[in-house]
Amino acid sequence: MGMLSERREPVSRPVEPPFSPILLAGLALAVVPPRLLQPLFDAILAVVRRRHPDILDRLSDFPNAVIGIDPVDLPFVLVLEPWPEQPRLQVHRDFELVQASAVIRGPLEMLFDLAEGRIDGDAAFFSRQLVFEGDTEVVLALRNAIDGAGINLEEDFAATLGPLARPLLRASNIGGRVYRRLAEDMGKISSALLGPLLRGSNTQSARIAELEQQVAELRRGLKARGRG
Amino acid sequence: MTAVAGIGGQLSLGPLLFHWPAEQMRDFYFRLADEAPLDSVYLGEVVCSKREMFFGNYFVEVMERLAAGGKQVVVSSLALVMSEKERHRIKALAGTDATVEANDLSAVAALAGHEFHVGPFVNVYNEGTLAYLVGSGARRICLPAELPATAIAVLAAQGLCEIEVQAFGRAPLAMSARCYHARSRDLHKDGCQYVCGEDADGMAVDTMDGQAFLAVNGTQTMSGHYLNLLGDLAGLRAAGVTGFRLWPHSCDMAAVAGLYRSVLDGRVDSGEAARRLAELVPEASFANGYAHGLEGHRLIEDGLSLCQ
Amino acid sequence: MTVEGVELVCPAGTPAALKAAVDAGADAVYLGFRDETNARNFPGLNFSRPELAKGIVYAHERGARVLVAINTFPRAGQPELWHRAVDDAARLGADAVILADLGLCDYAARTHPDLRLHLSVQASASSAEAISFYHRAFGIRRAVLPRVLSVAEIATLCAGVPIEMEVFVFGGLCVMAEGRCSLSSYATGHSPNIDGACSPASHVRYRDTGSAVVSELGGFTINRFGPGEPAGYPTLCKGRFEANGKLSYLFEEPSSLNTLDLLPELIAAGVKAFKIEGRQRGRAYVADVVGAFRRAVDAIGRGERPAVEMLDGITEGGRQTAGAYERKWR
Repeated sequence: MGMLSERREPVSRPVEPPFSPILLAGLALAVVPPRLLQPLFDAILAVVRRRHPDILDRLSDFPNAVIGIDPVDLPFVLVLEPWPEQPRLQVHRDFELVQASAVIRGPLEMLFDLAEGRIDGDAAFFSRQLVFEGDTEVVLALRNAIDGAGINLEEDFAATLGPLARPLLRASNIGGRVYRRLAEDMGKISSALLGPLLRGSNTQSARIAELEQQVAELRRGLKARGRG
Repeated sequence: MTAVAGIGGQLSLGPLLFHWPAEQMRDFYFRLADEAPLDSVYLGEVVCSKREMFFGNYFVEVMERLAAGGKQVVVSSLALVMSEKERHRIKALAGTDATVEANDLSAVAALAGHEFHVGPFVNVYNEGTLAYLVGSGARRICLPAELPATAIAVLAAQGLCEIEVQAFGRAPLAMSARCYHARSRDLHKDGCQYVCGEDADGMAVDTMDGQAFLAVNGTQTMSGHYLNLLGDLAGLRAAGVTGFRLWPHSCDMAAVAGLYRSVLDGRVDSGEAARRLAELVPEASFANGYAHGLEGHRLIEDGLSLCQ
Repeated sequence: MTVEGVELVCPAGTPAALKAAVDAGADAVYLGFRDETNARNFPGLNFSRPELAKGIVYAHERGARVLVAINTFPRAGQPELWHRAVDDAARLGADAVILADLGLCDYAARTHPDLRLHLSVQASASSAEAISFYHRAFGIRRAVLPRVLSVAEIATLCAGVPIEMEVFVFGGLCVMAEGRCSLSSYATGHSPNIDGACSPASHVRYRDTGSAVVSELGGFTINRFGPGEPAGYPTLCKGRFEANGKLSYLFEEPSSLNTLDLLPELIAAGVKAFKIEGRQRGRAYVADVVGAFRRAVDAIGRGERPAVEMLDGITEGGRQTAGAYERKWR
């Protein structure tokens, strides 16, 4: 706790949002106040609690955890409190007023893929598409709990919505197809469009690296003197 | 100097883990045979079978000199046994009338039914394993470095055999089939050119930030810090530990042994002894965290008090 | 089991991963209880007793076996937790338990004479004599070989022991002799052998410096990854260190073992079971890797050379190695 609040400065968005339909949707959502989105996430949490009680069970070793989830291509963030008595999933504009024990960042599509076990969390992390900060133990517990639950968002919602499920599933299928098509096209132009921008060097980062190098050299110098 | 009640206990010198020139080894042991207040000395190559042939010519001579100096000589077996040659060596060792310290399960298997010692490379973590080994013939067990004093106390309290604890020197932390000394010189183990001989006390391994951390000794990884349990000897003795092991280093080991002996005899208090040890081994930073149930690299000044 | 009884032994950290492994063609699944009795005691991972019971039913209905890893070393003075794990695995109908500790082998052999015992890689039994000893003393039926042996050494070993040999074919690679490594406890105070976790997450920190991500374990810097550079676990043996005047991956590069190419040789060497590492990985990993190895083993069964499958995407550091199976690794 407090780990992030001490270092609010570097809490940038280290993962560049991919140029995707979600990014465009995000631009549109930027004007929507987070509280209008809250009912959606209340519903999601209710479904998870009903369909996958084992998730909260697997997180029971962390009764005070506050986990920030940052879909980097959307203009809001989520805060999960997997507290056994009163779990909450809240929408915020950012983490400004949140004392998070850990933060997970990644493109929304990847976060969904992770939740549904379509991709491996370690692999996403190895490839640097997924970034986390803070209490590693909490992040790992959440990852394992969600992966272990066998979530399938479509089925979970279908099971909850009952008779409404069929048309909704069909709509989401069509939506999925349209989305994938859009994503492909946009992927093609994104590199051309954004590539040069992303390559632009960050002078502040370079400065920090330089300072770290100097500390290491100082230490070595001191040690060499100690040995001699 | 404050007079302190003697705490007693055996003092032993573990097998030399580093690769030194054979003549230097011979002279090292000759001097210890004559001068060091040690109860037992362990001889034999534990880390890498490729080094074995060098000291062979002096082995018997050194054994005799140590025995003449009143030391019990124990022959330590290899810690990682894989090849045909290594397997034969274990069987041959078990066939001699030497007292053998088993450092892997193939040696335990070969020695079962005889009396033998068990080295710190065999995982003895609990009373079930201890009882099984004692039933097979184990008479002294040197415990793994990472055991906390609470576990050591449980094992010592069984009263089944002698319990030895590592008390000085770089703690052995890991074994591998791969030679990191060779790798650090872009060589392979098969053509290693015995580069491990270039570092008499192991090769320092620092973090990217230049912080001292580990040491490499061929295929073995060791602690960067030297164990120093001077302040914990009394507590461990009170818990039933029967002896302490010093790992050989290139410093004045006769003096190091003398220092530990003087603490066991109550002639020097542990604080004064620690100050003198730092002078004897100026290049070392010390640690005793494992015994205190903490990170192995930590140094806790307050001696152990094991309330049971 | 397709090729003359060669068994594909697959990891499951959760019930969902167990289903994924069985559905992808695992002959056996190995797993552990949700405590320090197994070597993957990670937060949010592993099985409760009821989950194991259900998992065993799911696997058995589909012809797969369930092996329970109880492969840490009981804490002195508190062996009950480990004894209970053995008792419960036996009671719930596990097909075998995978053990490492001498004392626990002794307990299991005496208390459950009908329970099939496997020797864990954590026992570091690297010679025919050591393995035969466990067979004679406790009736061990299969040993998982430490990842220190070359294929030639494995062939010699298989010929010299009266029981089945299991080897790792994919996943995270310990470069040290397993079960005999105290690097993690040196940095963190938590022993993989007793507490069941190497490089425990509670002691891991990733620090973003802006220009790089720095991984730390117990406050020691293990590695630094520049932008776009593939990352790895903050395990000490896969870190970058300075020795002999240069900065390098002194022990091992972040990489994953992959032996798809070597499977025919390993079968010829007499190996009876192939083990996939990764109980801490997600079900997507399990499905991908188990599927690839199922196809490979089936292809060998038909007398074909297994097709090369790219598993780069799920490997550590994006790199693969044949590890100690090739002698030059040493």
